Amino acid sequence: MTAPPLANLINELTKLPGVGGKSASRLAYHILKRPVAEAESLATAILEVKSKIFRCSICNNMTDVEPCAICDDPRRDASIICVVEEAFNIATIEQTRDFRGVFHVLLGALSPLKGVGPQDIDVHGLVRRVQSGNVREVIVATNPNVEGEATALYIAQQLRTLDVKTTRLAFGLPVGGDLEYADQVTMAKALEGRREI
Amino acid sequence: MILSRLTPQNFRNLASDEIAFHPTANIVVGRNGQGKTNLLEAIYFLATTKSFRTPRTASIFRFDSPSVFVAGALQRYGVEKTISAALETGETKRRVLMINGEKVTLAAYLNAMSVFAYSAARLEILRGAPEEKRRFLDRGVASVDPAYLEQLTRYTRVLKQRNALLHAISAGREAPSQLNAWDDELTRAAAVLHRARAAYAAEVSKTYAEIVAEHGYHIRDLAIHYRPSLVADLGQTRRAEIRARVSLSGPQRDTIEFTTGGRPAQDVLSGGEQKMVVLFLKFAKLELFRRRFDEPAVFLLDDVDAELDLEILQELLVRLPPKTQVFATSAKERFVRALAAGSHRRLIVENGRVTATEDLA
Ligand SMILES: [Zn+2]
Repeated sequence: MTAPPLANLINELTKLPGVGGKSASRLAYHILKRPVAEAESLATAILEVKSKIFRCSICNNMTDVEPCAICDDPRRDASIICVVEEAFNIATIEQTRDFRGVFHVLLGALSPLKGVGPQDIDVHGLVRRVQSGNVREVIVATNPNVEGEATALYIAQQLRTLDVKTTRLAFGLPVGGDLEYADQVTMAKALEGRREI
Repeated sequence: MILSRLTPQNFRNLASDEIAFHPTANIVVGRNGQGKTNLLEAIYFLATTKSFRTPRTASIFRFDSPSVFVAGALQRYGVEKTISAALETGETKRRVLMINGEKVTLAAYLNAMSVFAYSAARLEILRGAPEEKRRFLDRGVASVDPAYLEQLTRYTRVLKQRNALLHAISAGREAPSQLNAWDDELTRAAAVLHRARAAYAAEVSKTYAEIVAEHGYHIRDLAIHYRPSLVADLGQTRRAEIRARVSLSGPQRDTIEFTTGGRPAQDVLSGGEQKMVVLFLKFAKLELFRRRFDEPAVFLLDDVDAELDLEILQELLVRLPPKTQVFATSAKERFVRALAAGSHRRLIVENGRVTATEDLA
């Protein structure tokens, strides 16, 4: 039988995405073998991320300053907003270095099967940002799967009456795929070839 | 691609021995109930992760076994590839598909091996439920267009989401305006399926007529009536759909009817004629595959009996595209002899085990 404290750690690790029972126990035994200092800095890093990181009040990005570094950067063009499902999608767009606008993180995508409706994702915040003026274009960069596509259409409908151009990434990405797995070149092409919806 | 070896595990009554096959013709013989059809079914499962006898995969598991596993070795241009499909029962229903020891997606897996199956269960194509008939078209389209499966999966996903939304709207949990987004997606995804199904139905019809004419069979005017359920003007049907809490139009409601002389084939054809018609349809599908890919395929022919026109069957087999690997079963020695025209391997199945093999020239 695995000693209860060790079993406890393994159990906590299996709750992480993509970590199965085998990898969890490998990670747990690894942590156990390393010096105490290493375990302490890992524990501190985890706690710090929870206490110091919050969502930017403008774009919902993960940040430790308010507003986030992107919203606060005067060199960025606040008249172009790129809409993504999750904060980690920002990194995928940023890797192209072609995009100089700002972001809006929805915190998900429409999914009636999971009970996620427009009120559960932040479309409202996006509409408010556009209504407040000075936004020329909204680039919808939700995932090219069924849910991301419906979310893009929904956003386009919400913005239709406002004075703004709404565009969608041109996906050479595999249909049904995930933004997360797009490489730099694919992403740059998707941005460049974006079309109005 | 040729199937050179097969290892079933917990598949119906089959023993977990490795079975080696002949590259062109394999004739499986044995008394009824010994596992001849199970062997063909295991090959079909290896290629498709499904059964050709039943839509309920639960029945392929050996009694009380929580999982089923089939592995096979494929040869193509002298290169060997191993593929395997594992399925669990119960709540998990996990499916693990591998090519050369690496996990792959269903779409990638299904591309590895092309299989066409004829069995008496396939008469459901003519007389069965609409799902059976749609499956007949869908499998056909997928065999000539590997991207089709993804399009079908995509449509099914949109449909499920939209039905869930109709449910939520009817319960007052969501606003009807959200439907606009899903309507657009449904309409687009449906159009893709409708085009593909209609084109394939027309092609199969035409090829059927060509093959039948070539072999002088008397049921020549088999017509395939594909009736797509075109997506309605969803704005107009919205209230009815919210009330029904389900999408009322789309490919999930397509119907297909087979007629001869203007009357339903299942009503006017004898049992033997139905078997022959389905057999010709299978050969038509195989022919369409060959025209598209010029690749070897596996052809399964289950339970050859007196109701099939043996003379025509022999001719059909002789004129199969080269490198088609045939697996046939029969309980009767005289049918076996009729099938065994060229060099082939005979496999004798007793109680789920291949007890003897013999290569004949
Ligand atoms: Zn921000």
